[in-house]
Amino acid sequence: MNDTIWARNPQGDLKMFIGGGLILGIVLFFGVMQTPIQARRPLVWLVTFLSGGFMVAYTYWPKPINFDAKTELPKNGVETVGSFLQQSFGVVSSFVQIIAAFLLGLGIFSLLRIHLMNIARQKKDWVFSVILLVSMLSMIIFGYWDFMIRQGEKAVDFDDPQFWRMPNMVRDFLFDGLLQQMDAAMFSIIAFFILSAAYRAFRARSVEATILLGTALLVILSLMGVVAGAWDDKVAALAGDGKTGSADFIMNFKITEVAGWLKNTFQTPAITGIKFGIGLGTISMALRIWLGLEKGGKA
Amino acid sequence: MKKGGIPKFVIYALLIACCSIPLFFKIPIPNKPSDPSVDFYKTLSALKEGDVVLLGSDWTGSTRGESKGHMKAILRTLMRKNVKFVIWSSADPQSPRAALDVIAEVNAERVANKEEKFQRWTQWVSAGFYPNADVAINAVAQDVRTAFGSRRENDTNGVQQQIFKSPVMQKIKSVTDFDLVIDVTASKTTDFHVQFISAKNVPLMFAVTGVMVPETQVFYNSNQIKGFIGGLKGVFDMEQMMEKGINVKDANGKIAVASDKISGEIAPLPGVSVGQGTKYYPTLHVALLLMIIMIGIGNYEMISARKRQKGNG
Amino acid sequence: MKPEQIEVYRTIAAGAGVLATIGLLSVLYKENKFYRVFEHIFLGLAAGWSAVAVWTESLREIWWDKLTGVVETTGAVTEPGRWAYILLVPIGAMGYMVFSRKHNWMAKIPMGILLGIWSGLQIQSFWTVYGPQMKQGMLPIIPTSFDKFIVRSDAPPELAAVTITWSQAISNFLFVFTLLSVLSYFLFSFEVKNRALKNFNVAGRYLLMIGFGAIFGSTVMMRFSLVIDRMYFIWDEFLMKRILHMG
Repeated sequence: MNDTIWARNPQGDLKMFIGGGLILGIVLFFGVMQTPIQARRPLVWLVTFLSGGFMVAYTYWPKPINFDAKTELPKNGVETVGSFLQQSFGVVSSFVQIIAAFLLGLGIFSLLRIHLMNIARQKKDWVFSVILLVSMLSMIIFGYWDFMIRQGEKAVDFDDPQFWRMPNMVRDFLFDGLLQQMDAAMFSIIAFFILSAAYRAFRARSVEATILLGTALLVILSLMGVVAGAWDDKVAALAGDGKTGSADFIMNFKITEVAGWLKNTFQTPAITGIKFGIGLGTISMALRIWLGLEKGGKA
Repeated sequence: MKKGGIPKFVIYALLIACCSIPLFFKIPIPNKPSDPSVDFYKTLSALKEGDVVLLGSDWTGSTRGESKGHMKAILRTLMRKNVKFVIWSSADPQSPRAALDVIAEVNAERVANKEEKFQRWTQWVSAGFYPNADVAINAVAQDVRTAFGSRRENDTNGVQQQIFKSPVMQKIKSVTDFDLVIDVTASKTTDFHVQFISAKNVPLMFAVTGVMVPETQVFYNSNQIKGFIGGLKGVFDMEQMMEKGINVKDANGKIAVASDKISGEIAPLPGVSVGQGTKYYPTLHVALLLMIIMIGIGNYEMISARKRQKGNG
Repeated sequence: MKPEQIEVYRTIAAGAGVLATIGLLSVLYKENKFYRVFEHIFLGLAAGWSAVAVWTESLREIWWDKLTGVVETTGAVTEPGRWAYILLVPIGAMGYMVFSRKHNWMAKIPMGILLGIWSGLQIQSFWTVYGPQMKQGMLPIIPTSFDKFIVRSDAPPELAAVTITWSQAISNFLFVFTLLSVLSYFLFSFEVKNRALKNFNVAGRYLLMIGFGAIFGSTVMMRFSLVIDRMYFIWDEFLMKRILHMG
């Protein structure tokens, strides 16, 4: 394997390069930390602009067709930029995903910080903080233990319980036995509030509320196969077998037809309109962020 | 606000009763699958042995009442048709494990039914979890070989190899080489799939939660997706179409699952197909009926209160 | 594990799941300690799993393996190490400066990268999403067959597909009217003086309610499905199958 400046052989001097990179990174970190107050906002904007700019350039710059970096050389400046964008797209995407993954830890770190402080200061209900941290730690320990066992014996299918060892079982207990069931329970609670709120507040008080109520009821009825089946059978019986104009007209009153008509004629354009409105808002917000016109916050 | 009428505990107890009691009875329900469900199943049925599907799993336990049913029905269909698949997630760190558990369940079911286990590495692979869903889905759409390039799996001998060396990925050079892309989701990943993957003209379909049905309908009506199954009705539609086929006449000449969306018929898929959808759907009727009754009572109370006020005034 | 051990384990796990489900649902009565115990277990487990999965399902392969390269057990190097990936650590670490009083502005740098990329993607994807929808929305509103009100079932399918009857033209008109009035309601959300536009916006608001009504109906289906799933778990999967060994 031929070493390049960016890709080094793991059995060679890679560790030295990583060490050097780490030192460079630390210097960068502390260098950024020293940024004067007036330069902070421009720095944040520059980073944002360059990141967005890469995506915009990738979209609008002429693209090489079926490009292969190993066999093709760009013949002019436009092609050089095009092939650079093409080759670096995957790297930029993976950089962004990695940064996002690092930032996922923020939530965990914040949770740890709050609950460790609760325990240290013995705030009210600090016992619950202990419960949270013990649960978190158990999941981390058994989650990684389970993973290590899977890595150690790669030929074994540890998704099959007959091969399980204690840590695999405990991981399954914590994830499937508890977490997944609790996740489902947590989200089911809203149904109770919806029903109670519908009884108390879903009333035909105004024209808007009546339209809302009518459509909701029709959609609910069309979701009930028994009702839809019985209604449609009645309509079909009323229409009879003959292919007459009146029979064809009556057949339009099947609940599935009426619900489908409402769906295609009113619901779809209404939601298209809502989403298009949101889309316009999103793109204007995106442009404001990219071009640094958004003035929120302090840098 | 003055509180009156039915106490909330009674309403909660009624919902628990309505969602519990019907579960003890087997109630056959007539069904007309929705057009998007028929298109979804039609597209799945058209897959051939050896085709490869990119299957996004972007749901967790929070929506297992619907999404697990979708996932199971899709996996059962793919496995029975011997269609290879790559599973991946971009919505939640819990999603990959939830999906792997369903695959293990369906495999256990296959073993119990004396069918062969669907083998990881030769018949399916997992490409793991990618944070930042929009960037991840765009990366797959633009350059799937780089996006999934660092993923490794155990081959049949237990040696870790890049997933592109697996028989599943042999023909995959770009996202357009997948015969179908499906996303089982409870999140905004539908938008990102349409933004980036539908732009590549790859057949795309969704299995979405009930709340997402109206917005997914927009994608379906504008032909951005081939079909979709939504909510519990979608699970029921799928199970019924798998079990009874479409427009197939039984011994009495009656069609159990009819649709004018297709001209001919689609034969049933042999094997166990009924599950979550068939078990939950009758109960959903009772729960929805309760909702209609509660709304009716609420409105009746309002009207009678108005009448009383008028009488007093 | 032996099959009988698996069965015992499954029963214990289902029992724990039932207890946790009841614990969380007990909040419907009122906020109580039983609920809070399970709420904290839930949060702890969810955060713990995120910490596990972010490494095992993601960073290990998309970052660590790229950084350190891949060497097979045979000693063969299949992937070189790309040392520049280490530079992402200080960038990620800047995000954690949000907890620092003095340097919390540094957290905006990784956020700026993510937001910048997001902005670029929006510009890229706007037309892909809305282009086909707008095109689909431009429906013909003038009939091509004036003698028929509805499509007749005995009409040849090829002819029916290209003929616009009065009923279809009306439906198409309603479609276009709904789309435009909802859009107008959204775009002219400020105070409008023009009477016609004002009335058009009011129509948009009414028609919007049809969309929201449909969303409500679908949401009810979703939420009830989740309750049914919980009840099925308690009564069927646990009580009937695991305890009473029925079904």
